[in-house]
Amino acid sequence: MKLRHLLFPIIALTLATGAAAKSTELLNVSYDPTRELYVDFNKAFIAHWKATTGEDLTIKQSHGGSGKQARGVIDGLQADVVTLALAADIDAIYEHGKQLPQDWQKRLPDNSTPYTSTIVFLVRKGNPKGIKDWDDLVKPGVSVITPNPKTSGGARWNYLAAWAYAKHKQGTDQAAQAFVTALYKNVPVLDSGARGSTTTFVQREIGDVAISWENEAMLALKEFGREKFEIIMPSLSILAEPPVAVIDRVAKKKGTTAVATAYLEYLYSDEGQEIAARNFYRPRKPEIAAKYASTFPKLELVTIDGEFGGWAKAQKTHFADGGIFDEIYQNK
Amino acid sequence: MKFASRISAALLAAATLAFPLAAATADDVDLQALRDQVRLLEQQLKVLARKIEIKEETAAAAPAAPKVTVSDKGFALTSADGANSIKLRGLVQLDSRLFFNDGGGVVNNGFVLRRARIITEGTFAKNYSFQLVPEFGGSSVSILDANIGVAVSKAFQLKFGKFKVPVGHELLQSDSWTFFNERSIVTNLVPNRDLGIQASGDLLDGRLNYAAGIFGGLGDGGSSTNADFDNEKDFVARVFFSPFKNAAASPLQGLSFGVGGSIGREKTAAGRTSGYRTDGQQTFFAYNAATIADGPNWRVAPQVDFRSGAFGAIGEYVVSTVNVRPSATGVKTELQNTAWQVAAGYVLTGEDSSYNGVTPATNFDFAAGTWGAFELTARYASLEVDDAAFPLYAAAASNANQATSLGVGLNWYLSKAVAFKFDYYQTHFGFNAGAPASSTSQILRQDEKVFISRFQVSF
Repeated sequence: MKLRHLLFPIIALTLATGAAAKSTELLNVSYDPTRELYVDFNKAFIAHWKATTGEDLTIKQSHGGSGKQARGVIDGLQADVVTLALAADIDAIYEHGKQLPQDWQKRLPDNSTPYTSTIVFLVRKGNPKGIKDWDDLVKPGVSVITPNPKTSGGARWNYLAAWAYAKHKQGTDQAAQAFVTALYKNVPVLDSGARGSTTTFVQREIGDVAISWENEAMLALKEFGREKFEIIMPSLSILAEPPVAVIDRVAKKKGTTAVATAYLEYLYSDEGQEIAARNFYRPRKPEIAAKYASTFPKLELVTIDGEFGGWAKAQKTHFADGGIFDEIYQNK
Repeated sequence: MKFASRISAALLAAATLAFPLAAATADDVDLQALRDQVRLLEQQLKVLARKIEIKEETAAAAPAAPKVTVSDKGFALTSADGANSIKLRGLVQLDSRLFFNDGGGVVNNGFVLRRARIITEGTFAKNYSFQLVPEFGGSSVSILDANIGVAVSKAFQLKFGKFKVPVGHELLQSDSWTFFNERSIVTNLVPNRDLGIQASGDLLDGRLNYAAGIFGGLGDGGSSTNADFDNEKDFVARVFFSPFKNAAASPLQGLSFGVGGSIGREKTAAGRTSGYRTDGQQTFFAYNAATIADGPNWRVAPQVDFRSGAFGAIGEYVVSTVNVRPSATGVKTELQNTAWQVAAGYVLTGEDSSYNGVTPATNFDFAAGTWGAFELTARYASLEVDDAAFPLYAAAASNANQATSLGVGLNWYLSKAVAFKFDYYQTHFGFNAGAPASSTSQILRQDEKVFISRFQVSF
């Protein structure tokens, strides 16, 4: 055998070594309060994937304020999937780099939102400041905890829920802006994400009321005890629809498109919906929703499309640089 | 009067009873106000503390910026996660060569820009690397090294392209850090840089280093151009043990030994080598222009390296065998040339001797009264050409068949990057029995005595 023939075994060995070292790994870049949800869900999906395909799978999670997380993906964070707080953040990933198609929201049922939530109030036990509805949050001497809408998806839902309430009650956008301005005057500190905001209220004992995701408030009760906190349902809130999407460019490059798609589809399965409900997210599937009806009180909910003309418009009007929130917060 | 007295008494009694009650109420109000004030201050304090906490969290979570490093090891730009980097390094060596008692008539004294290199290296996705080294020194510009590395693991790494062939110990050492300005005459017998593919790695906790590859194939001391179009290749391998490397208390911790070798076939159109050169870089042996290599060749090079504090030494022995013909149709003969060397250095200022150079404890700074590091070096080397080479394959009258060299030197490391090196070499030549009493080559008529001084910047 001529020596040059050894070239091919060497190259083959190289390739074989590379193949042996390969393992499938997904990165789910999510927003702040979903840590517990995806710990449970990932465990279930890994078992499901192994059972159906025989393949081993590792899933990594990354959490932070939804807007901040979207910026991370835009800047190169190699997310196979994103599970963020609001559609505007995934739209931003499309707009800055076209890493997924513009109509990403049409690829999965319910506009790619496998679970929903809403915005409620978390108060200390006994409700010392007598918080009953949004009006109580603008009273002098009431300290309100909510995160920064510039970085947190949850904060944007909070802001819009307050705006919708004021507009419904007082009739005009001017009145709504004045109301929200008054509300932010009572906010002593802005965290970058919803989990940080919960920490501020629950663990740092700051504030009289936290405007919170329903799932986050329920989790706080579970984790820290019903003897310490109470949930107050406002008379009106907003239907929060956290969306999910495969980041096509990353998944294609990593060869994970199939498993990433299956991962998100599994959120709509019975098991996925059960896990969402157990983690205090309102399930989409009617039979699972019925099973957990007692967990989630009914209340009047406005929608982002009906009330604000969709996320794109709401984002531009309220949260873009130079938008109404900037005006409100600069005048605080 | 009685009534008034009773009324007064009653009022007094009432006032007496009422006063503490009123006083108590006022105290409670004050106390509550104080409590509210304390609660408010406590909240304000907590808010301030939380704001600081958030600021710290935000700073900690901020994406780390790429790292820029400028040092005596060059310029490096490294991504925040360390997976990607690009490094710019350089090497400039200006030599002065001064020959003594060389009979005149040979123009060999002068200055030489021995090496002038811009070295670009990089890493991508942590496991992929490259190196590109153009050589501007000497008389022409060439690509010295151009290769791509794939680090599968520490034990298995691949290199593709043009790079040093793993045979000779001293040759594999960086040009900047050898004991002497010029490598010993032993280096004449090992291949230099060639095109090929190499697997290498560290095993046994770094105590065993191996390298093996397939290369285009080179004559002794030769370097490849950027193409190698023939069917004859060399298989090259080297193993190098450092058995006591991890035994910190052992006096043999710095002992390493191994063997390199190559085997292959070669068929060339003309002279097998460009010549064997002395320490002064003068040619003392070359095959006839019509001589060609035709047939198997192999080399074996056992080697040893020892370092102990300021003392360092290397030794190696090389056997190089080649089949040659005097012309395309002439008789084929196998020639075996051999060489060996022992070299040592001692760092007078106490710094460690190292295969990767001496790092001065303090840099030269006249104002501060620090002088860098000084190293004394010595070397003895010998090369012998097979007698069968004469006269059919090489002219006995114009070539030596043996060179024995003694060298001493002083290296002054002004810093890790900057050094002066001063070497004196004396080489004695031996000749084939068929050679005339006086060689036709003027440089071989007497011992070569040369003083080479160098100013070097290497980073």
